[in-house]
Amino acid sequence: MSRIFPLWLAAVVALAGPSPADDLPAHPLPPEQVDFFENKVRPLLVENCFSCHSAAAEAEGNLMAGLRIDSLAGLLKGGDSGAALVPGDPEKSLVVEAVRYANEDMAMPPEAKLRPAEIAVLTTWVQMGAPWPGSEVADEASPAQALAPYDWEKIRREHWAFRPIVKPPVPAVQDGTWARTEIDHFVLAGLEAAGLAPNLPAEKHLLIRRAALDLTGLPPNPEQVAAFLADDSPAAFAEVVDALLASDAYGERWARHWLDVARYSDVHGGFDAKAIASTWRYRDWVVQAFNADLPYDQFLTRQIAGDLLEGAPDPAATGLFACGPTYSSDGGDAEAQAQAEAETLADRVDTFSRGLLGLTVACARCHDHKFDPITAKDYYAIAGVFRNTGLEDFPSAPQTEIDAYEAGQQAIKTQEKRIEKWLAATASRSGIDPASLEQSSDESLKAELAELRADLERRKQAAPPMYATLTGLKDIGSADMPVALRGDLRKPGEMAPRRFLEIVAGAEATPYAIGSGRLELARSVVAPDNPLTPRVIVNRVWGWHFGKGLVRTPSNFGVLGDRPTHPELLDWLTADFVEHGWSLKRLHRQILLSSAWQVSSGFDAAKFARDGDNRLLWRMAPRKLEVEAWRDSLLAVTGELDRSVGGPPANEIWQSTRRTLYASTSRTGEVFHADRFLRMFDAPAAVSSAEQRVETTVPQQYLFMLNSPFMTGRAQVLGDSLRSLPGDLPEKIGLIYLRLYSRPPEPAEIALADAWLSADPSPHAWQRYAQVLLSAHELIQIE
Amino acid sequence: MQFLQHELAYRLARQRLSRRDTLRAMGAGIGAIGLAATLGGTNAAAAAGSPLAPKLPHFAPRAKRLIQLFMPGGPSQVDTFDHKPLLATHAGERPALVDRKSLRNTKLGLMPSPFGFKKYGQCGKWVSDIFPEVAKCVDEISFIHSMHTDIPEHAGGILMTHLGSLQPNRPSLGSWLTYGLGSESENLPGFVAMSPRAQPRGKGACWGNAFLPGAYAGAYVNIEHMQPSAVISDLKSAGLSREQQAEQIELLTKINQLQLARMEQDQNLEAGIHALEMAFRMQLSVPEVFDVSQESEQTRRLYGDSEFGKGCLIARRLVEQGVRVVQLSHSIDGYDIAWDTGHENIVDGHAVLAKACDQGIAGLLRDLKGRGLLDETLVVWGGEFGRAPTSEGAKGRDHDHYGYTVWMAGGGVKKGYSHGATDEFGLSAVEQRVHVHDLNATILHLMGLDHERLTYRFSGRDYRLTDVHGHVVHDIIA
Repeated sequence: MSRIFPLWLAAVVALAGPSPADDLPAHPLPPEQVDFFENKVRPLLVENCFSCHSAAAEAEGNLMAGLRIDSLAGLLKGGDSGAALVPGDPEKSLVVEAVRYANEDMAMPPEAKLRPAEIAVLTTWVQMGAPWPGSEVADEASPAQALAPYDWEKIRREHWAFRPIVKPPVPAVQDGTWARTEIDHFVLAGLEAAGLAPNLPAEKHLLIRRAALDLTGLPPNPEQVAAFLADDSPAAFAEVVDALLASDAYGERWARHWLDVARYSDVHGGFDAKAIASTWRYRDWVVQAFNADLPYDQFLTRQIAGDLLEGAPDPAATGLFACGPTYSSDGGDAEAQAQAEAETLADRVDTFSRGLLGLTVACARCHDHKFDPITAKDYYAIAGVFRNTGLEDFPSAPQTEIDAYEAGQQAIKTQEKRIEKWLAATASRSGIDPASLEQSSDESLKAELAELRADLERRKQAAPPMYATLTGLKDIGSADMPVALRGDLRKPGEMAPRRFLEIVAGAEATPYAIGSGRLELARSVVAPDNPLTPRVIVNRVWGWHFGKGLVRTPSNFGVLGDRPTHPELLDWLTADFVEHGWSLKRLHRQILLSSAWQVSSGFDAAKFARDGDNRLLWRMAPRKLEVEAWRDSLLAVTGELDRSVGGPPANEIWQSTRRTLYASTSRTGEVFHADRFLRMFDAPAAVSSAEQRVETTVPQQYLFMLNSPFMTGRAQVLGDSLRSLPGDLPEKIGLIYLRLYSRPPEPAEIALADAWLSADPSPHAWQRYAQVLLSAHELIQIE
Repeated sequence: MQFLQHELAYRLARQRLSRRDTLRAMGAGIGAIGLAATLGGTNAAAAAGSPLAPKLPHFAPRAKRLIQLFMPGGPSQVDTFDHKPLLATHAGERPALVDRKSLRNTKLGLMPSPFGFKKYGQCGKWVSDIFPEVAKCVDEISFIHSMHTDIPEHAGGILMTHLGSLQPNRPSLGSWLTYGLGSESENLPGFVAMSPRAQPRGKGACWGNAFLPGAYAGAYVNIEHMQPSAVISDLKSAGLSREQQAEQIELLTKINQLQLARMEQDQNLEAGIHALEMAFRMQLSVPEVFDVSQESEQTRRLYGDSEFGKGCLIARRLVEQGVRVVQLSHSIDGYDIAWDTGHENIVDGHAVLAKACDQGIAGLLRDLKGRGLLDETLVVWGGEFGRAPTSEGAKGRDHDHYGYTVWMAGGGVKKGYSHGATDEFGLSAVEQRVHVHDLNATILHLMGLDHERLTYRFSGRDYRLTDVHGHVVHDIIA
């Protein structure tokens, strides 16, 4: 955790500290004193003193001089030499004397004297009266308090994310005609309470475009638009949504969202960027899982422990962790090796906890979480599961192919054995040493041997090649690991039995006992009493549909995360999601068929002034399309998009017309052409789980549109096809606008085309015009 | 405050010149330079909405720009700037002082430097004969002889130097600076990384943005090949003249403005219209800044004719144009940890490397000073660690992370000053020790940023370049 704390820290400390907020003393510490302590003093003490003078040291039997410095009470009580601290009087405080190296027998820390500035910090702090946040009322820090850093029950009761999911009643609204679904009741109730009205519904051509881009990452084709515009039946839009959800393109689009969370890359990561050749099989697994509407609880269970499922193991799913960044050290230095392992474990815990649970458990790698109820022991309880997990190559081919391979190998072995036996038999019969058989003059023996060997060769030729494999997880142990003091794996603290997070599972949570504990971990993640998992995914899905989640920090549901804009709506949707079998497709349908999702994106100065951030959802805020969907759209409107699904990635994105999802990307961001391109358009670096994408606009993006061979190539294709369309110029322009933007052109747009093309109707002019249309902002946004 | 003034001046200029006029000017064939001049110079601040728009520092900066002269592989301190005459009198001995726990191969006795040292400048600094030109600049330099770092391994050490972390998943110093300060150049990236031949080990991570937005990633160019298109992809149109491109941009802007009229207001689209104008200008400014033939013969001679020297000259041209951070790494033959040649033979390895950069570095310092740029440009020279005074084999030295030398010049640091010290043989930093985190905190401080306040919220915590460490070394600040 960094040393940066907001000014309202006092309140947070009250929440996370040992004393309940309602017991706060009459005179809480001034914020600047809290700041000073947290920014300067505590880090100093943690870094220099705790290894010998803390609860952890005591638990390990390493407590020195009987002195604990991890609480004010400990300092006041003192150790073998008496009280270590006299608040307000540095000259009488042994702790100050010790760090000044004034007394040879008590010069602390023993390795090296603190810097003058650090000594000054401690002196000033004692001079201040030794303010220690959280200790205001604690006269005596009891061992029990030291072991229970949080008021668990209070946090479970009071922090929204930890409360059980209860399906709230659907609120009543005044405008009964607008609200079509339960979602709408919640949204409209919020708007009405603020005196705002939602925008009008989006125009139909915009609606189908929004739905197609949202669900498939591709614009609708003109025929789909025309059919929808002509269909006046009330079910028309629902049918559009169903058709989009049923297309392969849906899984490709939504897999890409998940792969952001999964910090997916086609190479391994770390220093050496070593590739796991089969990483793409995990990517394909995710695509198929979305397309098959694999229930989300199973979706996660398989990604955590797919290899361990009895009956139907699914190791491809475990790529989430099998293909994560794995750090290594390039020399033999023990500290670097420990650091690399610690960093690899941190990746697993971080991806697991932020990605799946919306909790920043990795913050507890060096010490208990400062803001959320997550202990370092929690961290190492989860890290221990991954430490007992290794990699394995699994077959990734139909059983018949595997059987054929095995049979081929068996046939080879059989013949080899036969030759061996023959040699032995012949040797014993004829007395000729097997090694010199070939030189023997017995032609019939030689012929017999040659035939046996020729048969072996034939079998080798006929044997089918090795079937494909994929890299997944496997258990390699079942040992708990200790808490690593200050995150250093070489400094073990108390043992952290593998189990689920205490805030969710309670202090009495059953330790994991089977193998690495991954299957039990998976069960904990999707357990009915864990409110985080379904809330997190429902919020993510909402965010991918609206641009922002109901909780606008989708990977942080902790104290420092945002609170939901619509807490009841989130809970209602979550409860409904679980009740209906964790079906994502059902959730998409529910959201897209609401009036809330279907309102126009139109700007409204008055509403914007009231709620510019659209927290109340008065409109669909326009947003930029993700780079993958944009490139795919460009290839789609020129008719060049190769729609084949799955398979190995293309290392050369510019030679591929497949969806961008299938282009190789690296973790270092410097290996493939796609790396630079995707980064330029805000795709997240695959170094850690991405919470959500940022939107930036830089000139380099426009240089790409103006000059890149990709854009000029697409423009040539589109320009040529435009020029050869039937009809006069306005007709051609009309057709192309439908294809690109799902709408007819405005007169001003036809006039621009006319001015450009009537002067110079050459193919080149058409191509240049086409490039402008492909570069237009309208193609890179969702309205 | 100067940043804010730039920004205000620029906005006023923009108001006067409506977008339509801008486009007419383009169409009329007035090139980007003319247009930029109308707007008050090519260094005009970027409009709001750009992630690289100049931002106010936390306090008045001493330096506005940073040039990192990075020496990957670990140059030996006792053979360059940390003169230890006692090595000669104790050659072959192994005093307890140098018998430190290390996995590295430093088990043999002390080895005197094979190079001569002379005293230079008014400050009377001893410098090795392999840096004769830098030696003449010692009165501009603050030497930090008490550097130390966490591990004696190249990749980890290099990442620690650039990222403040042993692992490649944190933003680089240059990315932090462009995130914190933006760029003063509209026409160039805010952060440019360069090297002749090889990229330093750690590669893209050394200028990577990690979890910061992509706009803060360094743009890398290999100056061996000198292709500006490597800095900025797709810089040139294959088939269109400048006038044709201006027409193209005019049409695109009109179409986007029709879209904006329909939407009434949209931040992304407005930023896009501005970025398109900037893209047009970059096409001229980027190739220009890398074209050292525009410099006078005299200036080019100042930098010498090595590839690294050319890199130094480009670095000056870049910072002159308002680029915030330039990282120039050394390599002469494609080895990604150039100075690691010291293992076998310090004489061959170090002398050649020093020769390939000495003139360029000195030229850079003199040129910056001559142009009045040195005072606000911070130049930092150093590797990821140093080399032990004991010998590895007969003639070489192994890694030493307990003590090494880094120097700084310009931008607010003392002139002709030496800070801290290693022990009498040069192995370990013993006086006024400076960790890499302290150095990075100091660099940020000189650039006007408090390393404890320059944070980015990611993954539930506020990340810093210096993590939870770092003390500004106030003693070296003038």
